Amino acid sequence: MSDRDQHMEQLREIVAEVLEMEPEEVADTADFVEEYEADSLRAIEILARIEKTYKVEIPQAELNEMRSLKAVHEVVARYAGWQD
Amino acid sequence: MRLDHAALRALLPHRYPMLLLDRVEDVAPGESLTGVKAVSGCEPCYRGIAEGQPADRYAYPASLLIESFGQGAAVLWLLSRRPDTAGLPMFTAARDVTLLRPVHPGDVIHHRVRLEQVVDGAAFASGSSWVGEQRVAEFDSMMAVVRAADAIAEPAK
Repeated sequence: MSDRDQHMEQLREIVAEVLEMEPEEVADTADFVEEYEADSLRAIEILARIEKTYKVEIPQAELNEMRSLKAVHEVVARYAGWQD
Repeated sequence: MRLDHAALRALLPHRYPMLLLDRVEDVAPGESLTGVKAVSGCEPCYRGIAEGQPADRYAYPASLLIESFGQGAAVLWLLSRRPDTAGLPMFTAARDVTLLRPVHPGDVIHHRVRLEQVVDGAAFASGSSWVGEQRVAEFDSMMAVVRAADAIAEPAK
């Protein structure tokens, strides 16, 4: 499994747990708000779990961008210095 | 640091019947807190129960136990912030709470709360509640967010 795949699977698990879904139900590009009825509190929870898991700090301003798993991966990769 | 009931009332906006914390025995701001809640047969949750009910009818409600722990977490967070910070914590989510045994009138609950993480405007706590040497509940993740005090306050009568 490539680094990117591994990171995507870890992030998928975090998102699934917060949104109370099964990981396989979380699609790469599905919009959390429109398709999974997430609200701003769930978004903050996802951000907090990511910060704790990867020991990175992500500014809250990035929350607006983190609307799908793929978008979350892009933001985290930027702040965690992943070369995915 | 120890906080008596008057100090708690100065920190928390909760009042009867929803102020569910009696005292804080020890607090290390930014880290941990031990809060005390004594459960009595006079609690409003036991009002109106018919005569002759079995003991388990008097188990302290899980919702109130969780709220009581949450108030301990709120005090910890309030004391961990910069003094000039505005707004009040509002409890938003509890994840993976395990109730291990019921609590009854006469029990004194000790909440051991740890502040896990503070993200812009949100805080996460975890911990456990004890009666004597027995653990009665475990809290994996309790989340609160800051809201402006006037957005939560009771409307003027």
